[in-house]
Amino acid sequence: MNRDEDTLNNNPLHSTFKETMPKTLTRREFLKIAAGATAASGLAPAVRSIVIEPFVQPPEEVLPGQATWYASTCRQCPAGCGIIVRTINGRAKKIEGNPLHPLNRGKLCARGQAGLQVLYNPDRLKNAVRQSGGRGSRQFEPLYWPEALDLLSDKIAALSNAERIAFLGGLMPSHIYRLATRLFETLGAAPPVIYDLQSALEGRSAASQLSQAFFGAPDLPVYDISQSDVVLSFGANLLETWMSPVAQSAAYGAMRQGGMGSRGLFVQFEPRLSATAASADEWIPVRPGAEGFVALAIGRIIVEERLGHVGSHRTQAVLYQNVDVREMAAASDVPIETLHRLARAFADADRAVAIPGGYLAGQRNGFSSMLAVQALNLVVAQVGREGGVFLSNPGPTAALRQNLPVNAFDEVIDLIVRMKAGEIDLLLVHGANPMYELPAAAGFAEAIARVPFVVSFSPFVDETAVWADLILPDHTYLESWGYQVPSPGADRPVVSSQQPVVRPLYDTLAAADVLLGLAARLGGKPAEALPWEDEASYLEETVGELHGSSLGAYDARTPSGFWALWRQYGGWWSEKKIRREPELTEVVQTPLPISDPQFEGDPEDYPFHLYPYSSIILSDGRGANLPWLQEAPDPMTTVQWGMWVELNPKTASALGVSDNDIVQVESPYGMLEAPVVIYPGIRPDVVAIPVGQGHQDYGRFAQAVNGSNPLVLVAPVTDPGTGALAWGATRVRLKPTGRKQILARLESLDGNGRESLG
Amino acid sequence: MNLRWLLSFVILLLAVVLSGVILTRAQVLGAPNQPIAYSHRTHVEAGVQCLYCHTSALRSEIAGIPSVQKCMGCHMVIATDRDAIRTLAGYWERGEPIPWVRVSRQPEFVYFNHQAHLNAGENCETCHGDVGRMTVTRPVVKMDMGWCLDCHMKQPENKVTHLADCLTCHK
Repeated sequence: MNRDEDTLNNNPLHSTFKETMPKTLTRREFLKIAAGATAASGLAPAVRSIVIEPFVQPPEEVLPGQATWYASTCRQCPAGCGIIVRTINGRAKKIEGNPLHPLNRGKLCARGQAGLQVLYNPDRLKNAVRQSGGRGSRQFEPLYWPEALDLLSDKIAALSNAERIAFLGGLMPSHIYRLATRLFETLGAAPPVIYDLQSALEGRSAASQLSQAFFGAPDLPVYDISQSDVVLSFGANLLETWMSPVAQSAAYGAMRQGGMGSRGLFVQFEPRLSATAASADEWIPVRPGAEGFVALAIGRIIVEERLGHVGSHRTQAVLYQNVDVREMAAASDVPIETLHRLARAFADADRAVAIPGGYLAGQRNGFSSMLAVQALNLVVAQVGREGGVFLSNPGPTAALRQNLPVNAFDEVIDLIVRMKAGEIDLLLVHGANPMYELPAAAGFAEAIARVPFVVSFSPFVDETAVWADLILPDHTYLESWGYQVPSPGADRPVVSSQQPVVRPLYDTLAAADVLLGLAARLGGKPAEALPWEDEASYLEETVGELHGSSLGAYDARTPSGFWALWRQYGGWWSEKKIRREPELTEVVQTPLPISDPQFEGDPEDYPFHLYPYSSIILSDGRGANLPWLQEAPDPMTTVQWGMWVELNPKTASALGVSDNDIVQVESPYGMLEAPVVIYPGIRPDVVAIPVGQGHQDYGRFAQAVNGSNPLVLVAPVTDPGTGALAWGATRVRLKPTGRKQILARLESLDGNGRESLG
Repeated sequence: MNLRWLLSFVILLLAVVLSGVILTRAQVLGAPNQPIAYSHRTHVEAGVQCLYCHTSALRSEIAGIPSVQKCMGCHMVIATDRDAIRTLAGYWERGEPIPWVRVSRQPEFVYFNHQAHLNAGENCETCHGDVGRMTVTRPVVKMDMGWCLDCHMKQPENKVTHLADCLTCHK
């Protein structure tokens, strides 16, 4: 009671409230206020006038007062869902899912809906700028675009060696990747390095390598959840941010209510109860890094006891010859009985699928764990079968097959090493924010300081753009052209189209046009390789190759007719379902590796595992500048506009902290402070922190939140199997600070909604 | 405080409220100041039809204000030496929309539809008055709910139920 009162009195909001509210209100004061208000309201309409602005030049398809819907592609995450955007009087008003699009079939997530705030964000750069006070000064002077392009092309021409230029990209449309690759190829430079935090958290490069090892192709697998009776998800938060959450959520719904005749069983293995685990029938809190052991044990039990209806498991016996179920059970904290029960359920199901998720990829034994999980699909003969595993269809033409491959973290480390060694003179950054997204200990901050000239294409001044000499803001995605071959894909070949739904609001320039402009200025080989006049004509030519394809859901008589339909439909896709069945490689004829997880930090000094998880609201931090997302409550903790540390009630009581108490979280690499959320859905030896807050830059809304970036804690170590960042392999320790920070939470802490204000 | 004070206070209050009401009323039926001294009369007398400029009245909820481009479609050559046309050309050259001030308006909770009224055979003049004779456009009626219903109730019997339904206009 007393403590509550203290808290209330120390709360800054409370004291403001006291100051602004007079203690008493006399009758006279009340009358004065009332009279004033009446007079004001009587006069108010007399001073109102409403301005109506017509178009200067109306778009042809616009009828005043009527909405026009444009089909495009969402770029809030790499999934590539189709969207339709309602525009009225030239302004974008609402984003919905494109009902025709085979991937998301009319559905859209909250992050997709919030895309309007990317467009209308008050912190957007309105023109090209040069950092006039030097890098990091945050003093910008506007730059005339031709001048900016001249400056950049002079920098490229002045390079002593083409290898001294580097391009670091993140979530970018496929055509920008292709143009950048072409340009760099003609210059003789290395292709762009593609890496962002979202990809790291979902284990994109590891998943691609797993496909390569298992199926001999780098395309990502598509898990047919909708047709499955039993789904075992190993650390894949497939209803939140992992891979293609909208398509997976729809598939999950179909699995639960669809035509399979049963409700479907969904089991989630992960150390923390995510929103996905909360939707599962069972959540099994496996010891961090031991998910692969569970898969190995289940596989071994199926093979050994000849479970299921597959017939002979003789060919697979070799996979599990070194697996001891008892050891695996002990190492993973999952009782043997549970393993037996799940093995039986998995093997007895008509259709079952096991999914290796992003948390696995974020461990130092990630690749062996992922192999073990994928092998389960083999054991129950679900590879290339309904309700099992398929491969994503690649792009339908050679040009469209040139999709951006996500690089592993060790390739980023290579780049950082080269930057630090002074081997890079010019760095271009597009769609990534490495200063925020890389573990601080990876040393990017130090490396970027050694690069003499840095160019950012970010529409916002983010943490990386602050260290750029030049910012050439790209259009936001609702103002941009593009295409994307979704990966993981749908049940048929799809190319999603992106088109501007409004004219660019500001004097920004498409990054593709910057690249084309550079090529033209450089002349010679680059100009020959990139001969297109502008972005749209390049796209028209590239996607025009699909015209006349016999597969398409529509066809046109003329190329321009095809270009119109391509934009109207929001892309091109096959009329019929075409699933790509994977072919197995010989990896499946050798015993599966069993490797113990390794963690950075001595368990004596650092007793807890750090679990920095991807937020369903902010994903990897990209959404932090959108107030609609910030105010959306986190589904598990209901925290809004905040950042926190999740502790098991046992851990919290041993530490003597309760909700809203600030604790210090320290790893061998860094330290942060954040308020505690006591969360029963987490193992006592795990500390979970959502990723996405703690922005130093990136606009007023992102900076307004009192939070830290958990990447300061993460050890820059990789899984030797894939080279992927082992973001879940850091140990931390906790220390109470004695201070408090009250988190805004939508739901009451006691679950009854009866807390008193004291 | 004595009675005289209270009385004078009440009178003052009444005067303020009353002047507010009168001013509001005057505003409703007054002509707003426009950025360009545009005359409907000149245009109608020259033979321009309403729908030539307000193109979407038959097809959309709103009648539409002509784009600057549409104005310039004639005024590239017509009356280019007049001040008003020079102002217009200024907007066109700067690529700016003209900030016209709305003359007739419905509150935000009313879903008025031009298309429905025109398709029912109403003329523009029924509601907007004889705009063709106005040099400066001003509203001729106070477009309140009583006025709407006045007309709606006079419609054929089989239509009145729908036309008097709240949800027809207040969706």
